Amino acid sequence: MEDLRTKRKGKILAVKDLPTLPPVLDEITKMIEDEHCTPKQIAEVIAKDQVLSAKVLKMVNSPVYGFPRRITTIQHAIVLLGFNVIRGIIISTSVFDVMSQAMVGLWEHSLGCATISKIIAEELGLKDPEEFAVAGLLHDIGKVVIAIQLPEEKEEIQKLVAKEDITYLEAEKKVLGFGHDRVNSWLADHWNLPLPTKVALTYHHNPESAEFYEKFAKIVHVADFITKVLEIGNSGDELLNTLSKKDFVDIGLSFKKLAKIMDRVLEDIIEVLTFIPK
Amino acid sequence: MQNNTQEFFLISPDETIYLIFDKFLKQKGSLVQFNEGKPAIDRILQTPPAMIILDIKIEDISYLEMIKLIKGENVYLQIPLILCLDKEIPKEIENMSVFDLDIDDFILRPINPKEAKIRLELTACKASKFLDANPLTKLPGNTTIIQKIQKLLDAKRDFALGYVDLDFFKSYNDKYGFSRGDEVLMMTARIIVNTVKEECGAEGFVGHVGGDDYVFIVPVNKAEDVCKKIIKNFDAIIPYFYDPTDKERGYIISKNRQGKIEKFPLMAISIGVVFNINGRLKHYGEASQIAVNLKKIAKKSQKSTYIIDRRRNE
Ligand SMILES: [Fe+2]
Ligand SMILES: [Fe+2]
Repeated sequence: MEDLRTKRKGKILAVKDLPTLPPVLDEITKMIEDEHCTPKQIAEVIAKDQVLSAKVLKMVNSPVYGFPRRITTIQHAIVLLGFNVIRGIIISTSVFDVMSQAMVGLWEHSLGCATISKIIAEELGLKDPEEFAVAGLLHDIGKVVIAIQLPEEKEEIQKLVAKEDITYLEAEKKVLGFGHDRVNSWLADHWNLPLPTKVALTYHHNPESAEFYEKFAKIVHVADFITKVLEIGNSGDELLNTLSKKDFVDIGLSFKKLAKIMDRVLEDIIEVLTFIPK
Repeated sequence: MQNNTQEFFLISPDETIYLIFDKFLKQKGSLVQFNEGKPAIDRILQTPPAMIILDIKIEDISYLEMIKLIKGENVYLQIPLILCLDKEIPKEIENMSVFDLDIDDFILRPINPKEAKIRLELTACKASKFLDANPLTKLPGNTTIIQKIQKLLDAKRDFALGYVDLDFFKSYNDKYGFSRGDEVLMMTARIIVNTVKEECGAEGFVGHVGGDDYVFIVPVNKAEDVCKKIIKNFDAIIPYFYDPTDKERGYIISKNRQGKIEKFPLMAISIGVVFNINGRLKHYGEASQIAVNLKKIAKKSQKSTYIIDRRRNE
């Protein structure tokens, strides 16, 4: 088992080509060909796609640029990479051959979680809501990489979830010996992502285990839950985890604030979802 | 970025070239072939190779665009690039000046293996001899900067010359160490380069005098926007180069020049700009002196500041 695990880990980290969904790529390709497009506008679109965001952050935090693990937001990444490199990343990105329903669902789920993480951070008066948006956007990136690198195992996981009464995470652990949260942690190190982002990605299912930057894990944890409750997209889960009152209290959310957050979420999410490829 | 297992990228659909190069690159590292351009871009950006051999025969993307991408970025431009052409030189290159075609060498088909080997070695050698570039940021250094300014002065061209310097860089270095300091210098270089490129395209120039001193040259009408944008981007990103506690409270505690413990604000950026209009300035020293003095005045403020001398004539 240990051997197989190491082998799978190796395969996951060997991921070279992270494809994204065709409509996203079309939209952004159009944008970079338009001379009047500003970096801010490009950042806004990239920030809606988990794969492109992961690629951009991986690039800017790579040792090539000389400041690994420092850059957490897409806006800053674009300022530092510049238009040429962004263009390079986009033209070298491919699309999923078959745009599977599962991938579209996960894409919506991630975008929903990003939006909600950001709203929570804003309502809590935190300094850099964008950082939380990125953490929410990338929180399930491990699932995408598993789907690309271990497609057969992924099928097995999905079947198991449908057959037995278990969560996606539990099914992953049964089939692979590890969950997407572990994969996230490996990827975060492999891609030199900043620590707050790594913590959110690694501990979004068990935020109490985070030793530092636990706010990131906790907020994404709550946002992930709200995304599932509102059925924005599909994370692959049929079951809903329970969320304790403690989870809310821990990040300083009163019921009054939560009500306000839900209002904003319902308002914003409509706008966000109009971007969804259909 | 030096490692013992050097990679050489061959971007070409041509199998025969691979066989020729693989023979003598074997002892030096490994040759990786890409049949198309796009997959190669991703790899080059992530893990820059020791050399690129680019065939004009790639189909999925224009080879000129690829050259522009690689040679247009300070972090990649030092990778030697050899273009592989046919005897029949393509029109678009024929009409180009050598200065616009940013390659280090070229090879003609059919390839003569002995000649190719020598060319490869010479190119690798030349690339490592480009001494004027700043070793950290790879931006042009003093010799190039002086030449560039003097050339513009001699031609009586209008331009704006900016000197850029970081405030409290020394205390940051003292507290966090040199390698963290280098991170800040790399980040600052990227901000200046990208801002100048975005605002002025090919009309702009950025050099690295050394340490935390940089120079830029831009068209007169773009100078103010460039300054504003550099400051905005620098101020937004610099807090992320501090540890969480320092970032949170907005200052660091470090030793001052007398060795006493003191509070220092987060780093800021100071810019002094001098205009050369209607041939007002004659000599490089004159231009740089004015810009440096203005930068010193800008430095008096603890916040990021720019000062522009717009004088047209004495
Ligand atoms: Fe998850
Ligand atoms: Fe999720």
